[in-house]
Amino acid sequence: MTSVLNWILDPLSRTFMQHAFVAIVLVGVICGVTGTFVTLRGLAFMGDALAHAIFPGVVIAFVLGRNFLIGALIAAVLVSLAIGAIGQSERLSNDTAIGVLFAGGFALGVALISAQRSYAKDLSSFLFGTILGVSRGDLLLTGAVGLGVLAVMALFRRELGLIAFDRTFAQAQGLNLWAYDQLFLLLLSLSIVISLQTVGNILVLAMLVTPAATARLLTDRLPRMAFLAAFMGAGSGVIGLYISYYGGISSGASVVLVATALFAIAYLFAPGTGVVTVRLARRLHYAHPERDAFDLDDSLQAPLSEPPYPEDRTTHSRGLPTAP
Amino acid sequence: MKQAGKDAVSASNTTGEFTSAARLEATGVSVHFGSRSALEGITAAFGPAETVSLLGPNGAGKSTLLKVLAGMLPPSHGEVLLDGAPVRKPAPGVVYVPQRTGVDWTFPVNVLDVALMGRAGSRSRLEPLSKQDRADAMEALERVGMHRFAEVQIGQLSGGQQQRVFLARALLQSGKVYLLDEPFAGVDVPTQDLLIDLFSGLRREGRTIIYATHDLAQAAKCSDRILLINRRVMAEGHPQEVMTATNLRATFGGQAILVPVEAEIARGAGGSTT
Repeated sequence: MTSVLNWILDPLSRTFMQHAFVAIVLVGVICGVTGTFVTLRGLAFMGDALAHAIFPGVVIAFVLGRNFLIGALIAAVLVSLAIGAIGQSERLSNDTAIGVLFAGGFALGVALISAQRSYAKDLSSFLFGTILGVSRGDLLLTGAVGLGVLAVMALFRRELGLIAFDRTFAQAQGLNLWAYDQLFLLLLSLSIVISLQTVGNILVLAMLVTPAATARLLTDRLPRMAFLAAFMGAGSGVIGLYISYYGGISSGASVVLVATALFAIAYLFAPGTGVVTVRLARRLHYAHPERDAFDLDDSLQAPLSEPPYPEDRTTHSRGLPTAP
Repeated sequence: MKQAGKDAVSASNTTGEFTSAARLEATGVSVHFGSRSALEGITAAFGPAETVSLLGPNGAGKSTLLKVLAGMLPPSHGEVLLDGAPVRKPAPGVVYVPQRTGVDWTFPVNVLDVALMGRAGSRSRLEPLSKQDRADAMEALERVGMHRFAEVQIGQLSGGQQQRVFLARALLQSGKVYLLDEPFAGVDVPTQDLLIDLFSGLRREGRTIIYATHDLAQAAKCSDRILLINRRVMAEGHPQEVMTATNLRATFGGQAILVPVEAEIARGAGGSTT
């Protein structure tokens, strides 16, 4: 018992790990909520692009010895405005505009950093984050920006939800779609920027998309989805950090792998929608009466199409079917 | 301009006892998208207690005209007047019901959530929706026969049921003018009947209903007035006056309908346009 407790408490006794845990929980919660809207609006590619395109901003701030958050923010605003502008062109889709800026911005960042002496080390710390080097000041900044993002999102939740669901109706309600889109891109940029240090440039997309996708599999209500996504993000972060600490693997990768595993579990076993759960439930409910429902070999040969629906499913106890 | 506004208000007041009456006008409305023109010089007026269908082929500009009337799309030329006052942005008294196809039906909301969106616009940011809003939403859902589905995720519904939920949301907005984009498209017969009932109910309350359709039989059956539209107003008037072979051929062009209109009407709501 004490050994389990020690196992859990040991990392928490080190300051750098305390900082890491706080940082990853903040990032998990913020990215979970922002990611809910990202996945519902189909903006995963946009999120990925923003993360890559702000890279040169981070590098320039680093070279100039300024706080990387400022550089990243300036770059994020410039990039989202540029995507909006190029996307207006009649010949190019938004998707294409994103693609062009994404690759170009990232290349600029790599070019800038390759001119530095400690090229390889710097590059990898930008791309994969340095969660074990999060300072107290970083935490305060992350917390302040993150709380701001959550507050604004809570304030405009109705509008953001309405626009994601039904743009035309939102417009008919007098909402300024352009302004809300810009606001959302800004919130998304901020969420990405404060995640850079923790999970890095490349894996931040997973924090935005994966917990939200898992949450969507578990609920059909928007507010619940946002809460679940936040919970999944923070949970993946904490579990991932432990695995990273004891397994000696990269923290960002470990966190993302845990989030992905949670998604896989939900995909397969979510009540009512999971691939395995649905098939199992169908088998238990609809197996032919003359067969034993627990005889798997037999039931594997049962037809996949739905057999006649029993009048009252509640009469079936523990999967032992009664004759219809 | 002010004077004209006053005249229009008094004009609508003289039409009677209705409290939810309004007069919506388009004067010389043109819309251009880049070099392409979608509407050219549309002038039309819609009064209280009438049901008007905008009838025309695909690409005729019906949806565009509805959006202009709803204040969602500024016209390139001309203007829209609501009770004599220029409409430059969506007005509270004008309810727009979009096409079903523009919506993400996999979205995590249930039927009651969607209906309640009809109230979101009239509530301030920090004010949560009240018990009364919920009760009203359930009542609206009951009016369209969807109250038993309140907790169902909207993607699980049939096309007709989805349209009913949209109607409940529109009822909750309680406007003076209802603009509906293809409300009859792809819905089952019971929903079509419900729409017709609903329209006549709203009309009895003095409200104006303007809807886009490309279904001749439908338009003839349940509108007081038809506007034949193909980028401009090709003809306007009571169904019997408007639905002449010449008018229809002019409006629908290559898609001309050679079945006599009476026969179309006789075939009822399920009849197709071709």
